Amino acid sequence: MASFAAVCRISARLGSGRAARGFTTSSRCLAAQNFVMPALSPTMTEGNIANWKVKEGDSFSAGDVLLEIETDKATMDVEAQEDGIMMKIFAQDGSKGVQVGTRIAVLAEAGDDISSLELPPDEQPKQAAQSTSEPAAPAPREEPKAASKPAVKSGAAAGGTYDHSYPLLPSVGLLVHEYGISKEDLSKIKGTGPNGRLLKGDVLAFVGAINAERPAAVSSRLSKLAHLDLSNIKVAEKKAAPAPKAPEAASKAPEAAPEPEKVLVQLPVSLEHVVELQQRLQNSADVSVPIAKFVSKATAFANNRLPAIPRAPTTSELFDEVLGLKEAKSTKFSHGSYVPTVTDDFAAPRRTSAPKTDIIDLLAGPARKSSSSPARRPAPRIDARAAPGGTHLFGLLVPKEEKARAELFLERFKVALEEVPETLI
Amino acid sequence: MLVSRLIPRSAVRTLPSRQLTLSRWSRGFASASEEKDLIIIGGGVAGYVAAIKAGQEGMKVACIEKRGTLGGTCLNVGCIPSKSLLNNSHLYHQILHDSKHRGIEVGEVKLNLENFMKAKETAVTGLTKGVEFLLKKNGAEYIKGTGSFINENEIKVNLNDGGESVLRGKNILIATGSEATPFPGLEIDEKRVITSTGAIALQKVPETMTVIGGGIIGLEMASVWSRLGTKVTVVEFLGQIGGPGMDTEISKATQRILKKQGIEFKLNTKVVSGDTTGELVKLDIDAAKGGKPESIDSEVVLVAIGRRPYTQGLGLENIGLELDERGRVIIDSEYRTKIPHIRCIGDVTFGPMLAHKAEEEAVAVVEYIAKGHGHVNYGCIPSVMYTHPEVAWVGQSEQDLKSQNIPYKIGTFPFSANSRAKTNLDTDGLVKILADPETDRLLGAHIVGPGAGEMIAEATLALEYGASSEDIARTCHAHPTLSEAFKEAAMATHAKAIHF
Repeated sequence: MASFAAVCRISARLGSGRAARGFTTSSRCLAAQNFVMPALSPTMTEGNIANWKVKEGDSFSAGDVLLEIETDKATMDVEAQEDGIMMKIFAQDGSKGVQVGTRIAVLAEAGDDISSLELPPDEQPKQAAQSTSEPAAPAPREEPKAASKPAVKSGAAAGGTYDHSYPLLPSVGLLVHEYGISKEDLSKIKGTGPNGRLLKGDVLAFVGAINAERPAAVSSRLSKLAHLDLSNIKVAEKKAAPAPKAPEAASKAPEAAPEPEKVLVQLPVSLEHVVELQQRLQNSADVSVPIAKFVSKATAFANNRLPAIPRAPTTSELFDEVLGLKEAKSTKFSHGSYVPTVTDDFAAPRRTSAPKTDIIDLLAGPARKSSSSPARRPAPRIDARAAPGGTHLFGLLVPKEEKARAELFLERFKVALEEVPETLI
Repeated sequence: MLVSRLIPRSAVRTLPSRQLTLSRWSRGFASASEEKDLIIIGGGVAGYVAAIKAGQEGMKVACIEKRGTLGGTCLNVGCIPSKSLLNNSHLYHQILHDSKHRGIEVGEVKLNLENFMKAKETAVTGLTKGVEFLLKKNGAEYIKGTGSFINENEIKVNLNDGGESVLRGKNILIATGSEATPFPGLEIDEKRVITSTGAIALQKVPETMTVIGGGIIGLEMASVWSRLGTKVTVVEFLGQIGGPGMDTEISKATQRILKKQGIEFKLNTKVVSGDTTGELVKLDIDAAKGGKPESIDSEVVLVAIGRRPYTQGLGLENIGLELDERGRVIIDSEYRTKIPHIRCIGDVTFGPMLAHKAEEEAVAVVEYIAKGHGHVNYGCIPSVMYTHPEVAWVGQSEQDLKSQNIPYKIGTFPFSANSRAKTNLDTDGLVKILADPETDRLLGAHIVGPGAGEMIAEATLALEYGASSEDIARTCHAHPTLSEAFKEAAMATHAKAIHF
């Protein structure tokens, strides 16, 4: 159900407000108002006049149906919200395709003598067409323009109008009264608040009390503050000393110095059993299992549940200890990520020279990748001379404090390969 | 090498039973457990809130925390325990010094520090257990252990009760928080040289205490021990207390009030070095602007120079994640690291290190994962210092605006003109409101006074909704309340205060 309440309201407000501010040039505009084709839905552009329920010269009161309008979707009544007189009808019953915003009638206020009133000029439909969005015109608006817009209850937010959330902010509500701003005009003001909320500044700018650009400027500045400043990020230099936490030191030995002292742990491991088993499998089941697979399985087994690396307590652990909240808990086991290297030719702790490609390496490569975490240790490498069969010296280069842990790893590794290789497969 | 001889045998014994394990290894880590929608490393405010929110969104979520209790620094050793101490020390101080002229005569007043601390622990335990319950209620799995990255999708957890497990997640959230920044050259033992963590757990009231750093944490702890009888000196490198975010005028007012309470301040002063060998801890200080060097001896030194992101043991190097120069995990506006399914929120990344900021981010990040959109308004994050009187602010400070040449107008209202403050005999402080001179839109609100921490919620709401000072002034405030001071300051901003 549509109505054109605002038409009458506007006229009343303009009457007092404008006169007081001395803008009014003629009283006739105040009483007689153009009534234009209302937009009954946000998408409506034109409609047909089915029939007028009031005739020229008839008085009507608030709530009376003035006319019926047909659109492509439905036929709707347009109600009067305030009392008035139908002064002149321009678009007669059955008019087709009347554009929204076209003058269809002129209304006078209740009690006016319509014979003495002049018809207001028709500014439509040009005006309707250019009901643009920008409230930027800070200069006082021309009176008839404001008055000549139909207001439709549905609050059509087409084109340059804004659907403001209600209730209005107290300051906005007050300004609306103070300046006599119609609901219609109000919907032309773009709100610069969060989610387009209409702010005091927007109204002040609209009526020209402050600089028109100010509200938007303040808003855009505040919206910048609303985001984390992620500009000018300076990436910490790799392994630079001043970085609060050297992350690479953290994973294995949290308290270790950047370049921890390393020791070589070695243990001879005989691959005899493995080779024997390999042969057996080959003969009995015709399955060929590469030595490297045994080695990687044994590595994975030996890495499982190693004792945790000793480390200094953290601040919060210290605190818990101070409070006696809980007994100093220490993680007893953790998963290792050791990968032993054949170190037969190692006389002293040093890295093997440039890795030589060998068959076991190639075979072992993918298997290891899947079963061990990304290498933090020397890369998995088995020397070229690790030919199956013999006894080899497997070794690990580890930080000093991990010596015992690495030794345990090698012991297990040895046991797995020498004594129970069957369980590995 | 007895040990190493024994070990192989035990290894042999356990080997057969290990066959299951072996076969598991052969299938690799991935099958070790089901894949989660979200794995959160860290059960602090950021982590646990994200876990609850993710549970509510119907995700399969696990939250890894190594402390043994949820809630992180905030609940365990930060905001919450310190508020208990602040509130109770204030009561004690009031009973001791502020009861006679109120017409209340009390007999002997004694401090029982042990019970004093117990009250704090009760609060902490209740809240951390409450959080644990909330996780359970929302179907979020809580894993007690230390998490570290194996690769981009897998997290190894060293369980607190021994053993370990590997978790696989579609999304991973880093929420490891922060730790107190140590002072170079002073080793923290949490007994004589302490951080905030030790400051909430001292076993006796020290005679003297020096606080390095006059920020919020330093001043709150200074207040607690000063009220309990310690002679406290605060040494601050900057020219104002409360940190750089506090409005200068408010900061000065606060300093005056705290000085009246007996805390001594040395501003623009640098601590050069410390010596813990003597019976007292000795600090050599140097006035930054041409003062002469001197030294302070105190029983306890509190290091409160700030906090730094905590990424220790996280294994970031295994996934190639970079930190910025201050150790923060680098993220984009949707909290993604350079590996898009790994995100990061809270103290360990950018923005103010505040629990409520982390909480906002936690909700937003889960919404980003679940719905593709989240929101945190960083311009509307309040700060509160819980001294007495409290100090609270939101938005921009006067010096911020001044330095950026942004025009503003000010409205202030003193609590001495507020009826409720008068009846409470608690009239120190003022409300200061900053607004745009043309549009009257609120730019910032700064309060020092009783109940400031509660009152700031109103300012934050106003700021969030883009209110003008007039909007605040035209909103009815109950009488007689402290919040009327806020309303009157708003009136003073766009027009004139009625009661001043």
